[in-house]
Amino acid sequence: MGDLNGFQEKLGAQYSMVRSWVSLRRWLATLGHYWITFCYQAGGISYLFIDTLIAIRKTSIRWGETVSQVYKIGVTSFMLVFFTSIFTGMVLALQAAYQLRLFAAEQFTAHLVSLSVTRELGPVLTAMVVAGRVGASIAAELGTMKVTEQIDALKSMGVNPVRYLVVPRFLAAVLALFILAIYADVVGCLGGYMIAVFKLGISPHLYIKRTLQILMIKDVMTGLIKALFFGGVIATVGCYYGFNAEGGAEGVGKATTMAVVTALIMIIASDAFFTAIFYFF
Amino acid sequence: MIEIQGLNKSFGGQDVLKGLDLTIRTGETLVIIGRSGCGKSVLLKHILGILEPEKGRILIDGVDISALTLRDLDQLRSKIGMLFQGAALFDSLTVEQNVGFALYEHTQLSRSEVLKRVREKLWMVGLEDIENLMPASLSGGMKKRVGLARAICNDPKIILYDEPTTGLDPINADVINDLILRMQNRLNVTSIVVTHDMTSAYKVANRIAMLYDGKIIGLGTPDQIRHTTSPVIQQFITGSALGPITDAQRLKHDQNG
Repeated sequence: MGDLNGFQEKLGAQYSMVRSWVSLRRWLATLGHYWITFCYQAGGISYLFIDTLIAIRKTSIRWGETVSQVYKIGVTSFMLVFFTSIFTGMVLALQAAYQLRLFAAEQFTAHLVSLSVTRELGPVLTAMVVAGRVGASIAAELGTMKVTEQIDALKSMGVNPVRYLVVPRFLAAVLALFILAIYADVVGCLGGYMIAVFKLGISPHLYIKRTLQILMIKDVMTGLIKALFFGGVIATVGCYYGFNAEGGAEGVGKATTMAVVTALIMIIASDAFFTAIFYFF
Repeated sequence: MIEIQGLNKSFGGQDVLKGLDLTIRTGETLVIIGRSGCGKSVLLKHILGILEPEKGRILIDGVDISALTLRDLDQLRSKIGMLFQGAALFDSLTVEQNVGFALYEHTQLSRSEVLKRVREKLWMVGLEDIENLMPASLSGGMKKRVGLARAICNDPKIILYDEPTTGLDPINADVINDLILRMQNRLNVTSIVVTHDMTSAYKVANRIAMLYDGKIIGLGTPDQIRHTTSPVIQQFITGSALGPITDAQRLKHDQNG
């Protein structure tokens, strides 16, 4: 009897060991699958990015379509960027004043607001709202073209889809983000100004003087360089997921979601990278 | 002449084409029949060079298309017109811009010359005064005809038709069949028509090939195909629910659990 119990216990222990091994293997397989998918997509996006740069250099650019895309991406985003930036500027001013009040240094609110907006929040928040609005629209448009064979039709007529579809969107997004980031900087500072002048009682003249005093060309340029890169990221990621959409409406929806999520992650990750570079150099 | 030799293609580990061999003679209309999803459209996309074969090659007038540079391939594609299953008209362009697309992109013709050519091709497919309409305002049959006008606008030597009558009512389907025959008689092009519509196949074909299990299992004139002794082809052309095709499918399903 004792032997039998011992055997059963041993068998039970071996069974649970096998089960843990199986679940570990399954977990590793899932992890491996995600890693391969990540590498595949990262490779695909990088390849499209390089292909786009080559197409810009080597082929004729469709300027008419590029201008039309600048309107779609940039001009129609002006109101969205206005509201995002003005409220961000206001919040920044209030939060800065809350802390600076402890040291009776509220007049330095202008420094904090202008530096935070131009170096960081202006370009990043602009890129994030544009990624949500425009990245999704690019992925949906190209995704629909893919599933209805319009991209195959382009190829069948000897037209390179990267030159025809990606290049105008890429150039337009880069240019639009650059202009929108300048606009966001100005509007963000205006938001801070409104709080500082009308709520905190700082003199308008002093606020403007301090803003101009603290801001250096380098501060504005670091933000604008980031904005240029974010524009390229939004267009490339949107086009990549659009080109790879499969399976009708569901596939287009999935491509749209993936385009927005990936663009947002890439914007935040590249922002950290650029900030680190600008900090050291 | 188009020669397809030992063509292999798989998607996601599933073999679609398994060593397909087929020769299409210059000036003939070859109809490829087969069940939905058997790889007919995949074959057309290989001929256009949109898909690359995993094994095998395709020779068009003796030239291996997989060995061509992108520029040479684009040049070759200008000799081929394709009518896509859903017409694949560009949503954001007018009918005129759709039909004259290749001319606007690849030639130095003025807008009036392109417009003249577009009107001529639209007239050939039985359409008039629709140049300024957007594709969204066209019916299914009109879209297919505009797609055909676009395919022939460049005066191609080869026309590929991907399910030209699918989704159309019988009258519109017959209009398309007549157009295919008219293209054949007027332009003397080599045509490959992919379909599972047997009425259409018998009407337009010089020869019919049956694609099954990744290979061509039967090739002959419409009469030879109609009177074939092959049980697989017989089941397909008579549209019977019982027979070797469905038996094999059931067996595969059972084996996969």
